[in-house]
Formats: sequence, C-alpha cells, structure tokens
Amino acid sequence: MAGAAWHARRTMLYTRPQLKLLLALAAIFLVGLAVREWRAGFPAAADRLERFDREDVPPATPLIARPPAPPPQPRADHGVAAQPPGAPSADPPLVVRVAKSPPPAAPLDLNSASADELARLPGVGLGLAQRILDERTRRGRFESPEALRHVLGLGPKKLAAIRDLVTVVDAP
Amino acid sequence: MSLQAAPLLPLSAAFAGGIVAASWVAPGPVAAIGLAAMLLALAAAALAGGLDRLAMVLLVFTVAALGLLRAASPHLPADHISRLTLGRGATIEGRLVEEPLRWAPDRTRLVLEVEAVREGFEHRSANGRIQVTVYGEMDPLAEGQRIALEPRLHPPTGFRNPDVFDYAAQLRRDGILLVGSARADRVTVLGADAPRWPVRVKRWAVATIGRWLPESSAALLAGLLLGERSALPREIDEAFRRAGVYHILAVSGFNIALLASSVFLSLSLLGVPRRLTAVVAGIVVVGFACVVGGQPSVLRATVMGLLLLLGVLLERESQLMNALALAGLALLVWNPTDAREPGFQLSFAATLGIVYLTPGATASLGAHGWPRWLAAAVAVSLGAQLAVMPVMLVHFNQLSIIGVAANLAVVPLAGAVTTIGMLALLVAAASEAAAGLLFEVLWLLLVGLRAVVWAAAAVPAAMIHVPAPTWGAVAAWYGVLALLPYVRALPWARGVAAGLLVLVSALSVWPWLKPHDGKLRVTFLDVGQGDAAFVEVPGGPRLLIDGGPGGARRFDVGERVLAPFLWNRAVTRLDVVGLSHDDLDHAGGLPAILRHFRIGEFWEGGRWHPGSEEVLAALARSRIPRRVLNEGERLWMGDALVRVLNPDGRTPASPNDDSLVLRLDWRGISLLLTGDLGWPGEARVLRSGAALRALVLKVGHHGSRFSSTEAFLGAVQARMAVISVGARNSFRHPTPEALARLEAAGARVYRTDRDGAVIVESDGVKLWVTRWARGTTDVFDLDGERPVDARP
Repeated sequence: MAGAAWHARRTMLYTRPQLKLLLALAAIFLVGLAVREWRAGFPAAADRLERFDREDVPPATPLIARPPAPPPQPRADHGVAAQPPGAPSADPPLVVRVAKSPPPAAPLDLNSASADELARLPGVGLGLAQRILDERTRRGRFESPEALRHVLGLGPKKLAAIRDLVTVVDAP
Repeated sequence: MSLQAAPLLPLSAAFAGGIVAASWVAPGPVAAIGLAAMLLALAAAALAGGLDRLAMVLLVFTVAALGLLRAASPHLPADHISRLTLGRGATIEGRLVEEPLRWAPDRTRLVLEVEAVREGFEHRSANGRIQVTVYGEMDPLAEGQRIALEPRLHPPTGFRNPDVFDYAAQLRRDGILLVGSARADRVTVLGADAPRWPVRVKRWAVATIGRWLPESSAALLAGLLLGERSALPREIDEAFRRAGVYHILAVSGFNIALLASSVFLSLSLLGVPRRLTAVVAGIVVVGFACVVGGQPSVLRATVMGLLLLLGVLLERESQLMNALALAGLALLVWNPTDAREPGFQLSFAATLGIVYLTPGATASLGAHGWPRWLAAAVAVSLGAQLAVMPVMLVHFNQLSIIGVAANLAVVPLAGAVTTIGMLALLVAAASEAAAGLLFEVLWLLLVGLRAVVWAAAAVPAAMIHVPAPTWGAVAAWYGVLALLPYVRALPWARGVAAGLLVLVSALSVWPWLKPHDGKLRVTFLDVGQGDAAFVEVPGGPRLLIDGGPGGARRFDVGERVLAPFLWNRAVTRLDVVGLSHDDLDHAGGLPAILRHFRIGEFWEGGRWHPGSEEVLAALARSRIPRRVLNEGERLWMGDALVRVLNPDGRTPASPNDDSLVLRLDWRGISLLLTGDLGWPGEARVLRSGAALRALVLKVGHHGSRFSSTEAFLGAVQARMAVISVGARNSFRHPTPEALARLEAAGARVYRTDRDGAVIVESDGVKLWVTRWARGTTDVFDLDGERPVDARP
C-alpha cells in the first residue's frame, strides 16, 4: 500500500488519509476567507443573495378608500356569468385595481387630541373617544399608546389597528 | 432479504398492528388479557406437542394481543388533573415541559407538567399535562421553569369537520387532556430559569448560529443541525415541502449517521483503537440525542446507531432490518401512541424503504449500465420516497413529483452543511474567530442549498395535492413494494404486483372521476370563532365565502383546516373566493387558500382596514382578478343565481355593516349569507327593498346581540339558521338575546360550536342538514318545509 510505503519514509509526517483530511480542512478555511472578503466588499450583493427566496415585505400602506364602483359587467369565464348560462360573453377578465390611500398624516397625539379627532380613527366612535378622554383625565396623561389598553372597548385588535396612527408627544 | 436475518421484524410488526387495531376493536382489558393468555397457552401447548411452526404463528398473535393491551387507554391516577374538580380561582403549580410558544406579543402558549393544585389554604399534589394560552404581556419564561397560574380549563375540542385532522386527538396523544387560558397578571414564577445541560447546549448552539449567520440562513442551519424550525420563514419552509426534501429539516438517521461517522473517522485517523472509537461515538450520539430532544425519528436513529456501534464493539455484523425492528418495538412499548404520529410513521417508513428496496434497486439500475454511485444514490432516494408516499398522502395530502430528483442534489449539500456545521459549533466552543471562517463557508453552502430547493419547488407541479388514500389503497401499495424485489425472479409476484398496482391506481383516481351527485351543498365549516362556508353548485361551480381565522404565528385555519378539507374532496380549483369583510376571523385563513388553490376570481366589498395588510399582500401576489361587488349586482354560478344585497358603496358604515351580503338561489332554495352584518346594516338592507325571504340564513356576526334584529328576521323568515361561532369565545357569542329572537322567528338553529361542521344539502325536493360532530341529519320536505324524519 502506497500510504504505508510513504509512511515508512522518515520525512513523511502524515498518512495519506490524514493528508486528505488536512487538505480538505485547509480548503474549507480558504473558501471561508474568500467568502468573508467578498461579503465585506459587496455587502449589498451578499444581502440580496441572502434574501433571494424571501417574499417582499407587504406594503405597509393600508387601503381604506373604496375604489370607484365598476359598472356591472357581464362575464362568462370561471363559471361565473352575469347572464343566464348560454349567453356567452367575451369580455376580458375584470381586474379591479384598488387605489392606495395616501399614508396617514402625522400621528395623532393622544394627550392633546379632541374627541372629534379621536373619533376619526378607524374603529373608534364618539362613545369610545369620550372614554379615551375620560381615561386621560383619570391618569393625567398617557405615557404610551399601549396605555389605551385600559380603556373599556379598546381591545388588542383595535389597538393594533390604530397603533401606528397615534403617538404620545413627550411632555414639554 | 429473508426473515431469518430479521427475527424481530414479525414481532415488531405484530405489536404495531395490535396498537393500530386498538382504534377499531377495543375489547375491555379483561377480554384482552384473556385473549393474550389463551393464545399464550395455545402456543405453549403447540410447542409441547412438537408443532413448532404453529407455536411461532401463535407467538406472533400473542404479541399482537399485547400491542392491543398496551394501546388501551391507561387508567388515570386519582390525582390526575383531569379527574379533579377545580373551583374557580384554583391555582395550579407546575413545570414547563417545552419552550413557551409566542404567537403574538400578548399571547403565549405554555405546556405545563402539573405538580400541585392550591385552592384557598388547601394544597394537594396532582399530575398530568395541561396546555394553557396566556393572554397579556408576560416576562419571558423558559423550558424547565416552575410557575403557578390560575387557568380556566376545559377538554380540547379542535375543529370538527369531515376528513380534517383531529387536533383534540393529537393533544390526547401528547398526554394533554385539558387545555385552557389564563391571564398574564395571574402567572407567578416559582423558580429561576435553571435548565438542564442539554437545553443549555441547544440554546447556546442556536445563539451561536444566530450570531454568525444572517436571519434566514441561521434559521435553516438551526433546522438542519438541531431540528429547530420555529424561526424558519414560511416561504423557505414551504419551498422545502414543495421540493419533497422537508425530511432534512428534521433530525433523523441522516444527522446521527453523519455525526457518528465523522467522530469515527477523525478518531481512527488519530490512531485511537477501534473499540474505544466506537464507545466515544456512542457517547457522542447519545449526547446529541439528549440535546435535540426525543422525537421518534431521533430515538429511532439513536437506537439503530447504538446497535451498529455495538456490532463494531462485539465485532459482529449488524442487521439493519433487525435493528430497525428493535427500535420500533422499543419506541412503541415506551409510548404506544407514537404509532399514529406522522413523524414516527415517516421515519420508520423511510428507513424500511431504504433497507428493503435499495439493494434490489441498486442492482437493477446497475444492470442497466448506470454508474455505481449514481445507482446507489437514486436507489436510496427512490426507496425512501416510495415508502413514505402513503404516509405523506394520508397526513398532508402531498404527492411529491420532484422529490426523488431533488433529493439527489439536496442530500449531498445538506450532508456537507451538517458535517461542517457540527464542526463549526465544536470549533466555536474553543475559538470564535476560527469558527467564523467555517460559518462563512456554511453561508455559501446554505445559500446554494436554498437555491437548489427553490429551483426544485419552482418546477410546475413539483408537488400536487390529492385526496387522502383509503386504507385499501395504502395496504395494496405496500403490497406492491413488498413484492418489488421479487418481480424479476418470480412470475407470480409480477402478476400480483401488477394487479395491486391497477387496484391502487383505480382507488386513487376515483375521487376525481366520481360523478357529482347533483345536489347543492353548502358546508359551514367549524373554524372556531370565525366564518368559512364552502358552496358546491350542481354542475361544477364552487365558492368559498370567507376563510376563517389564521395568519402567521398562530393556528392557521386556512392551512390546517380548509385546505385539507378541500384537497380531500379532490378540489384544487375554486371558481370564486369571497370575503365578506376584512376582519381576521373571516380573512385570516385566506392567504393560505390563495397560495394553494387555483382561483377564478375574488369577490370583495371593496373596503379594507388596517390589520389586514397581510391578506391584501397575498391577494396582490396571487394576481387573482378581483371583483368589487355592490348592491343590486346579479351573478350566475351555473344554475344558481347570486344576488348582492350589501354594501351599497355610498353609505359610510362600520366594517361589519359593510359586510358583503350574498343571496344564493337554486331551484327554489334560497340562502342568505350575511357576514358580520350588524343592526345598522340590516336596517339599510331592509330599506333597500331587496327580496330577503330565504330558507337558510347564515346568522350575522356569530350571533351577536347587535345583529339579527326582529325586523330583519321577520323579513327573512328563515327556517334554518346557521351560527358560525367558536366554543368559549371571548365575545360570548352567540348571545341569549340573538338566540331568543331566532327562536321567536321560528328558525331551527344550528351552531358550529356544538354541531361541528353544518352541512346543508338539497336536490331541489328535499333538504338535508347534517351536524357533523353529532353525526345526525335532519331531513326536510321542501313543500311543507318541516322535518319529515330525523335519521341518526
């Protein structure tokens, strides 16, 4: 066996299998060095590569506005027909594009808002707005929007819905 | 492959058979003990009489009877938590048996091993497991910590729908007989977070990986090395499923074999004696199993690995099949309910397929001139895939087309990642700088692995969803596989295998070819607190109105309930998916439906509110044509006419009162689907003067007292009212007020919280309403509109 013959020579430090393993380890570390250099040099490309199979983050803008109502259109595909079956129609598929509403203006300061302003928040009516004001009077001021949790009728769901639309400005 | 080489296989198979049989034939313990004793006595008599062969057969049956006995539900001790009567305000003390699962910042799920119960000054010991969801913000807890809480407990119910996985049964298998909820401010921490060493090692490993790799790659490596998949992004998770290579994300024989052989190889190269090497490898394997936890696949691989190492130690040749049989027997004796766990079945089926089918397949591929290494790789991949196919179909409806090919590329890459990953963690314990270089290599390999998987998953029809096969088809398929090694040599085996294959094909395509029964069928699915109704119109059109609750980081009804329900009906295409309004108990499950099904068009009322961005994004991604519906529109679905009664698109209204209200008419049968319409909306629909009279009413807003006003119910005059509502929901739906008004209006009420799925069927002459969970059907004659009989 060649390995044994090599080993027999005094100059040989490693057996053949040991050499293979050491070479493989050296190669791995070399590749590691190269990758580190590349990632440091081209961070944007590396980041794109890292995220290549991820879906884009959904748009943060909620759609609140109702789109202009389309005129009722007859359609025959997908088994859905606006006329009794047997009256074919060849209209192209109707794709309704929903307009994005502009992002909300500056968040509402909970400690200075009026009942009317509060009632304009989604899911908040005049009654709830009044209870928010009562809670503000009771506490003095809201330390954070999360404190709204203590208002009767403002559950986690509703709070999540308005969380980005309200803020608390630090006391002067 | 002969049975002499695996003497344990028949015993193991008989024991497993007994356990499985226990769910159909459930004899009392006395009868089962009597049966086993009788078989044993007969076997002894046969042995004494010199009938060794008969004694052997009887022995196998005795073992099957033992399996039956083992599977019988155990007697619960008197202090088991489910046998105690607890007053309100009782405090339960216990230890967390798994890491808390955080669904949302204010919702955490704990699994607790109960130790004691305290009521007032009375303190008594108790045991058993409970699963508690804690509402409210809570300090972080960790596995092993002792806590006290005040939960409200009840037996688990799950979602009771036709052909859908039974969540309550799975909890029972995990030993959880009670579930409940508690408030975060009533949770007291009794002990500091002082985990045992395996937990500490695992946390350190996950943290180290997270320090060196970017998010997605780190999550993938944690899955590959430690089976820790909780941080894996949904897209990557789904790509691995679609490509048919999900098994590499579970710790299995693959990891154990790589670990043991790496240790073995490196120690041998260092000149350590062979026996000592085997002992060290055994210790490492056991340590690794402790760290990654006790899933069936880990235990199986550990038992088999230790047996192989024992073979080295004793210088005996090991029989893989026998080792597999022993592992199966040991696991089932320890925990018989494992036999129904998908993880157990997948692990054993795959190993059995590899051990049994690979030698023959390699030989025949080699005979066709394939290179040896390629033949072996393909044979392993093929053997595993063929064997796990029925398991994947029964539990997940998934048929992987690309799996065999994808595994050829993925397994070597995953092997390299696993080996270097283990090395990197080992090095990281000593020197973080050197480990950093290894993690750079790992990043490259992980991105490559993801690219291969992504490409395989992107192939059209890489994975298709089909109805779960019947028991007959599964048995016939395994019959074919059992005969495969003999088909070249034995003509009769060839004939039988061909016959069975024809039978399997016929049974599998039947659900697709089955003619429609010509009935209108509306299934109000049990989705907990939320709505989802599936409408099948004779002649083909199928609508799904609302998708139940769901979304990321919570129980996704779309993924776990609706999709399997539809797949098991051989539905892969929906003509219409409608959304009454965008509240998450109606819309949350829809993203999964949009991903998994081909959909003709999407119906909506057109108003969206903050909180449903995820649904909107999924809708945009799916590129399904959207149709915004307004009052007065009429659409034909086959022979059925759908009329839109709400919204009118002008009146400003609350989200609920903006609900899409649809009326469906087919041969004199009319159905009113009202979404979450409240009283202002009902008043508006009444004012609009639309025809409201309907036979079946889907009651508005889960039976809230602000819906179903007398005036509205009077105009509808429904004979049957269906309330889609979750048991013990926090809104206290359905309310007594709404129920009283429905009763006064003369409607027969069906509720998904008590009746499970409610299925309304009609052929135009009669109408059947089935309460799925109760297994009863009411029959109505449509002329008299009153029940003619109620059959069980």
